[in-house]
Amino acid sequence: MSVGGTKILDVSGLSVDLVMSGGGRRPILHNVDLSVSHNEVLGIIGESGSGKTVLSRALVNWISPPLVAKGGKISYHGRNLFDLPPDEMQTLRGRKIAYIGSDPGSALDPTVPIGQQIIEKLRAVEPGISTSEARARVLRVLDAVRIPSPAQRFHEFPFQFSGGMMQRVLIVDALVTNPDLLVADNITQPLDVTVAAQILRLLRDLQRDFNTAIIFVSSALGVLNDIADNILVLADGRVVERQQTRSLIDKPEHNYTRNLIASLPRIWEAEPVTTAPAEVVDDSREVILSVRDVYRSYETKDRERLFAHKVVQAVRGVSFDVYKGDNLGIVGESGCGKSTLSRLLSRLEAPNRGQILFKGQDIAHLGSRKLLDLRRRFQLLLQDPYNAIPPHLSIGRTIAEPLRIHGGLSTKEIAEKVASTMNEVGLRTELTDKLPVGLSAGQRQRVNIARAMVLDPELLILDETLSALDQVEQGKLLDLFERLQNRHGITYVYISHDLSMVRRVCNRVAVMYLGRVAELAGNEATFFDPAHPYTRALLSAVPAIEHKPYDTTTYLLEGEPPDPIDIPPGCSFRTRCPFAFDRCATDDPMLMKRSGEDFAACHLVSAGHSAPMTMPAVNLRGP
Amino acid sequence: MLFAIDFFTRRLAQGAIIVVAIALLIFTLLRVVPGDPVRLMLGPMVSATVAEETAKELGLRDPIIVQFGRYIGQVLQGDFGRSFVRSAQGGSTGGSRGESTFDASNRAPVIDLIATTLPYSLLLAGLAFLISLAVALPLGIWAGLNAGKWPDRLALYLSSILVSLPNVWLGLVFIFLISAKAGWLPAIGYQNWTYAILPALVLAVELIPVIVRSVSVSVSSNLLEPYVSVGQIRGLTRRRMIIAHVLRNSSIPLLNLLGIQAVGLVLGALFVVEYLFNYPGIGLLMINAVFQRDFPIIQAIAIFSCAALVVVNILVDFASTTIDRRLQY
Repeated sequence: MSVGGTKILDVSGLSVDLVMSGGGRRPILHNVDLSVSHNEVLGIIGESGSGKTVLSRALVNWISPPLVAKGGKISYHGRNLFDLPPDEMQTLRGRKIAYIGSDPGSALDPTVPIGQQIIEKLRAVEPGISTSEARARVLRVLDAVRIPSPAQRFHEFPFQFSGGMMQRVLIVDALVTNPDLLVADNITQPLDVTVAAQILRLLRDLQRDFNTAIIFVSSALGVLNDIADNILVLADGRVVERQQTRSLIDKPEHNYTRNLIASLPRIWEAEPVTTAPAEVVDDSREVILSVRDVYRSYETKDRERLFAHKVVQAVRGVSFDVYKGDNLGIVGESGCGKSTLSRLLSRLEAPNRGQILFKGQDIAHLGSRKLLDLRRRFQLLLQDPYNAIPPHLSIGRTIAEPLRIHGGLSTKEIAEKVASTMNEVGLRTELTDKLPVGLSAGQRQRVNIARAMVLDPELLILDETLSALDQVEQGKLLDLFERLQNRHGITYVYISHDLSMVRRVCNRVAVMYLGRVAELAGNEATFFDPAHPYTRALLSAVPAIEHKPYDTTTYLLEGEPPDPIDIPPGCSFRTRCPFAFDRCATDDPMLMKRSGEDFAACHLVSAGHSAPMTMPAVNLRGP
Repeated sequence: MLFAIDFFTRRLAQGAIIVVAIALLIFTLLRVVPGDPVRLMLGPMVSATVAEETAKELGLRDPIIVQFGRYIGQVLQGDFGRSFVRSAQGGSTGGSRGESTFDASNRAPVIDLIATTLPYSLLLAGLAFLISLAVALPLGIWAGLNAGKWPDRLALYLSSILVSLPNVWLGLVFIFLISAKAGWLPAIGYQNWTYAILPALVLAVELIPVIVRSVSVSVSSNLLEPYVSVGQIRGLTRRRMIIAHVLRNSSIPLLNLLGIQAVGLVLGALFVVEYLFNYPGIGLLMINAVFQRDFPIIQAIAIFSCAALVVVNILVDFASTTIDRRLQY
């Protein structure tokens, strides 16, 4: 636990209270001690509600009502921040102690170009600096955080940046004054895994170049494992443990830490617990859903050209089959087209081109009467359990709604069906006449599931259905899905960004990149022997405390997915692919069979393995 | 630049369609209301046959759509027709003189009537906007920065009082107290710009509460945007965040309000207030034209008002999208 170097920040006995409207007080932070030395990266881990955001703001002396500091001191180079006059604190805060928050999208004024805003800050904390000098410095740091074409992006507005690029902009904003302490509050939390991994790598490099001490606050131990030297565990506003990163993970001392580590989902050290059949598909099984070369695009106004529109290509030629009883996982990062695909699969939208066959019928071109009949058989479950349930209807009524729409049952039969379905999904029947107000997120999601199950569907499309729930509730619902599958033989399509959940429950996985399926393979093959470089990059970027078979330094290049408006020719992943060669720039690879049931859209597969076989549109199993 | 061309071409084309549609609507409505304009032109003493002849001569017996087509054709050449009632020398003639024929060339061109009255109305409306902004902006910003505290409530109560004062009554009270009793300001007619102050005050009283409400709401909601508190953690002062960012972004709802509501409100109130103060603006011209069923004037003013609203809105939208590039029009 000994830390070399001079102490930059030394916090002792810090307590912060929340003053409630009645005048009562609730402690948020209790007697927190911590210190950071020159060049150290200190990780702070805590669950939501542990007080970590309050702590990270308190470290920059930003405690505003209704929060009040009750006691303790924060000494920065020996001076107590609480004793500094406000204007001195103000300049110190921007100049020597920098802070980056978890929401890059709303951190800057959306109506002013980013370069101008960083200059504004620089001139506020370093009054002597001239505009041209400030501009040059901002451009230099924009370049240092590897934002492509910084001189042009300098003039762009916050909404024109992706989340990851915006977080880089905020890193520039923080580092442009060359501070000696940076407080990073959960900065990778809203980002996709590959982007988050790039940001972590960048931060490590910058830390070395700028000699900045970093306090990195996070709710994911896997993230801290990648960046922190030491980790401090915060629970209920108290520090329960502080150790070096490796030894904390290997030998946690406090019970809380031990539970925390034990409950983390594993990918490689865990076995799938799915009831779906193993990956080898035998010919006797029925294809329940067949997606054949489906396209979908959207138009937006083009400011650069007269009366013109840009075409956003959201889904570009996706094909796959889902067999009865399968658990298919569709994974990919934001913007890869998985949400559009879920809207197409559930027939909320029709594809521009291609077919979606449900039990042999093309749902894209079905009349509304027939479509309604067919809808009994496939149901969609969404992520947000709050907005999906009408707040003014009783729970029983909400669950009965689909039966009323589809008709054919008496009131008594409906009531019986509703009761048995509620029973099945684990909702107490006393809730039938209650309004959904006051239900927990998990209970609400059960109402959603019951509403879908009441029709006895054969296929459930789960679009990030479990993402809003905590670990425990997620586990319970996965068990429920498993039971339903055992009893009714339901087929699931899990659309998710959560790789550890997909590893646990899916027997087949489709990895999407920029509107295409990059790889379609069985669970084992996807996680242990993926053929597509993107799958490997994705796996290398997953924050984890276990040993990862793929390493970010080899598999994860800089850069973000190309703009879906302007997709370069050739393979769409080649701009980020460490193995790209000449052919990738000209030929767009189709999904090709690797072995058995595994396919990948990569030229390396055809080059490495025996004879390349282009995937037939109708039957994925090939001849 | 390209965006500006794209924007204005599209919006002006849309605006032209709106103006023509409104013109047709007004044209039709004016012709289905009871009251024959020929009677008004020629007076009650003229025989039915003469009246019928004059009406035919003026094209008043053609189908409405034919009349409208003819009218639009003239408007496109800048000719809004001639008043039925007013003579070219000024003053209203009407049927009282008992003329047996209608001499169109003796009547005042509508465009001239509008050209002489419009500057007075612009002066009045401009003064009203100036007064109301001078009062409402500081009050609204002050209320917005102190949302939920006493300045906010004060602004709310003040606005509630102002919004519930009827403009007719208020105008009469102003004339009586400030002009007749105290003699501080002139009130009736027009001799110099001071004659515009009292009617402008009446208009401002109507505008102030609307502006105060809009400004205070948008300032207080902008103040709650995360970037404001983040800005202070980044090292900028609260004062700087308010001046450079909050106020700037709060101007978008205000611009929209001024474009849509305020211009409409002033157009409506102008008729009442100018009539009340006998102020020789376009509103008075309109009111008299309505009383006299002077169709060409009513039509022309309606089309001008509609066109003004359309143009102001296009400008407002352009200004908004320039301030906040996320807005797409």
